Amino acid sequence: MGPRACLSAKNDLRKHAGTGNDCKKVFEPMCPDSNIEILMARYQQGDFDAATDLIGRISPQLHRFFLAQSASRADADDLLQETWLRIHKVRHTFRPGEPALPWFYAIARYVRVDHYRKSVRTTARERKLEAMSKEPAAVPEEFAHRGGLETLLAPLPESQREVIEMLKVAGMSLEEVARATSSTVGSVKQKAHRAYAKLRETMKATGFGKGQSGGLS
Amino acid sequence: MKNEEINDVLEKAGRALPDPSPATLQRVADSIKLSLHPVRPLPPEWAMTAGLVLICAAVSLAGAARAGFFGFEKMDVLERLLIFPALVILVWVAAVEFIHEMIPGSRRRVSPGALLGLGSSVLLALFALLFRDYRADHFISAGIACLLTGFLYAIPAALLGWLLLRRGFAVNPISAGLVAGVLGGLAGVGMLELHCPNFQAAHVLVWHTAVVPLSGAAGALVAWTLRFRARSDARKRTNPE
Repeated sequence: MGPRACLSAKNDLRKHAGTGNDCKKVFEPMCPDSNIEILMARYQQGDFDAATDLIGRISPQLHRFFLAQSASRADADDLLQETWLRIHKVRHTFRPGEPALPWFYAIARYVRVDHYRKSVRTTARERKLEAMSKEPAAVPEEFAHRGGLETLLAPLPESQREVIEMLKVAGMSLEEVARATSSTVGSVKQKAHRAYAKLRETMKATGFGKGQSGGLS
Repeated sequence: MKNEEINDVLEKAGRALPDPSPATLQRVADSIKLSLHPVRPLPPEWAMTAGLVLICAAVSLAGAARAGFFGFEKMDVLERLLIFPALVILVWVAAVEFIHEMIPGSRRRVSPGALLGLGSSVLLALFALLFRDYRADHFISAGIACLLTGFLYAIPAALLGWLLLRRGFAVNPISAGLVAGVLGGLAGVGMLELHCPNFQAAHVLVWHTAVVPLSGAAGALVAWTLRFRARSDARKRTNPE
């Protein structure tokens, strides 16, 4: 996106948001490359290029989010497509001036939960995941040998797993994670703290820290 | 193992996850292309909040106008100055939370359960402070009449509130239903305070306050039922047999 297009997008969003302050807050970090808030505003105005750009930028993060939540690659692809359909349907609920990433993740969480509840096939998977969450000691061997984010996060309950994924893999701030998970910053901090304690315990039990490279490829 | 080392491990594992294929991204882009048209974003938050507060005030006043302002007339100045501003503040807080429930990725200050607890506790504290008549005449019969009246006015307030925010999207419909119920319940309490001349402490503390949790529970139940029915319909469409 060139500087002229960026300026035009800024003006678009200014018209949209109504105040210059919101605009400044939103644009500072990423111009002239544009950021996802500008792209969202243009997407709301029916700009297909902005929509395509958003799909290219956000999809890898959402895909990783689904994969980290123990989805297979095929499931992650399905969930991604379903999430974008939902995003498209409710794109008017994004408010210019607000951070876009938590908005995307909140919808992705909804789709993931809905998908697993609806599908008979995945009900069995859910039970399996619940069992895994309840039995942190059952995975250390696999933990040390296989590595991979799904295995690393397997000892954690689902709520802690998604918080860690958003904080450490997607690189979101505590505030953004709190918005995405419909909770407070304090609750996110508490979940992250507990998750780290559990991860440290599991990594220690498996000697993960000593031979780190063997665990991750 | 230090936090930094765990961070490194997680970041490395995250980077190792595969990206979606270009074909998948193309499919996504194609699926939205046909229906891509400009949309009107939701109104500003202050406008929606003001709308919800006005709805609650209108329902309470309409109810009291129909049934009589006996409670308001019997109250002294201190009671009026404490009860109604407190109700307006609680309605405002509930309205803001309802709006946040209907917009994905919004900032949450209180959870729906905490909102229910806060609303009920503030009302209990206020009523306990203001009403000192400890008799309990016709406790059950008069109480149930007030509870039902309050609940009856909570329903239109919650429905009109939902109608105002119908363009929103609740990522957790049960929480949204609970908050809508609490908001409606506060409108119901407002109506009772304007109308009910029974100032016996037990009556007000139990039956007037109970409108809020009852409406909240009803809102959550309605949302749960609607979601259950929607899922059953979706299942039937996918698998007709």
